[in-house]
Amino acid sequence: MARKLQVSHLGKTFGELRALQDINLAVERGEFIALVGPSGCGKTTFLRIVAGLEPASSGEVTLDGRAVRSPGGDRGFVFQSDNLLPWRTVFANAIIGREVAGHVGPAERQRTMELLKLVGLEGFEHYHPRQLSGGMRQRVNLARALAIDPEVLLMDEPFSSLDAQTREIMQTELMRIWEDGRKTVLFVTHQIDEAVFLADRVLVFARRPGRLRESVVIELPRPRSLAIKRTAEFVRYVDHIWRLIEDDVRASVIEEKV
Amino acid sequence: MSQLSDGQAEVVQGGVQARPGSGMRLPRLYLAGVVSVLGGLLLWEVVSRFLVANALFLAAPSQIFSAILALAKSGELWRHMSISAIEFALGYAIASVLGVMIGFAMAESATMKRALQPWVSGLYATPTIALAPLFILWLGIGIWSKVLVVIFLVLFPVTINTEAGLRTTSERLIEMLRSFGASPRQIFFKVSLPSAVPFILAGLKLGIGRGLIGVVVAELFGSRAGLGRLIAQSADAFNMPELFAGVIVLAVAGIMLTAGFGWLENRLVPWTKD
Repeated sequence: MARKLQVSHLGKTFGELRALQDINLAVERGEFIALVGPSGCGKTTFLRIVAGLEPASSGEVTLDGRAVRSPGGDRGFVFQSDNLLPWRTVFANAIIGREVAGHVGPAERQRTMELLKLVGLEGFEHYHPRQLSGGMRQRVNLARALAIDPEVLLMDEPFSSLDAQTREIMQTELMRIWEDGRKTVLFVTHQIDEAVFLADRVLVFARRPGRLRESVVIELPRPRSLAIKRTAEFVRYVDHIWRLIEDDVRASVIEEKV
Repeated sequence: MSQLSDGQAEVVQGGVQARPGSGMRLPRLYLAGVVSVLGGLLLWEVVSRFLVANALFLAAPSQIFSAILALAKSGELWRHMSISAIEFALGYAIASVLGVMIGFAMAESATMKRALQPWVSGLYATPTIALAPLFILWLGIGIWSKVLVVIFLVLFPVTINTEAGLRTTSERLIEMLRSFGASPRQIFFKVSLPSAVPFILAGLKLGIGRGLIGVVVAELFGSRAGLGRLIAQSADAFNMPELFAGVIVLAVAGIMLTAGFGWLENRLVPWTKD
């Protein structure tokens, strides 16, 4: 498989704080990578650097061999909060990336319509965000990122604001959509089971300074159904990852209380 | 397979469908208001007829109503109203355009903001209406002195709101657009400007009341015609029904303009209503 994304000796400091230190990573084309870790481990910062929303302090990120310095149409970002424009319809929100790129023709409209259908929003193109539930808004968020046909999809805890049931539905939907196009995905989450369910590989981050602790390859068969979450193998992965971050999480919980 | 029906179940109710039975509930919704207004008018009638009973101090609603009819019939009312309306409309339109432009300039350039902020804050807080006699001295007793008063009163709330609206654009929405590689210009037109519209409208709405007061007070200081002139000359002649007629016409104009604005807001920026 071709190497899609290469991260070498990446570091990030905010003043005195070392948010990320010496991250090295190679991602294959079409790979689904999940990033987990305690709060403050820099996983979201890492994602934002890959997106070009944040500059790196040292080291570099290359996409297909080219250094990443600013946002671009080759990466689609799915935000934690949906960030939909309230004055735009579902369709107008989904196509905004194409608009920014400067060409909205019949082909782009057609593709956006198809994507809305893919994420289960057919018939809602002319609704406004305030008329939709949280789950539907996140579907628009996802369709908006996919509409620019990015090579890499960057997802920052996209389901964290949803209730448990909706989240599970969205996980299976995301799997279905991913199987369809096999984009390269970097998916940040707090939920270990979500990471294991979705990913080919789970990157476990540690904090202070934020660094990569372990890369856990998930060898569960695909396509996966929700039932897989009850298998012993699945639970073993979750336990293993939880033990890796447990101490860090306890430390961060105590710090937040103080 | 049942993708769509899943989605449909998630739609928040009441967004697009008309609420059933809303036609039935409307009269009851307004009942308290109607009773209150009618009761107030009745009380006023009784007080002015039996308690005050002096036409020099208070006019009864019935007398005011017939005064309005008489003024309308003679054509006097239209003459005064149209002059005031022209003064208001000119001043309001000029102040709106200028206010939005200055607000943009202040939001876009830190230097502009530093240069203009003391003037805007100072003049907004000053009762510029007190300068009306000066404006009349400069521009004469025609309509332009009143237009200038209206401009002074409407300009600053519009400027301040436009600037605040552009500055308080959600960082998250800007970042969303930035993630697609948007230029500063695209961010301005696709995010900052639309999200400032509710603020700009609020400033314009505030300007209605201030502008109407400006027209009338400036006319009181010196004018040939207008509702302020009508009120001033009625006061000089101790003609209380005509004085109140002028006031009532102004009140109705203010209420209608504000209500029209509310309607416009519902059409233009419905997302702010939830």
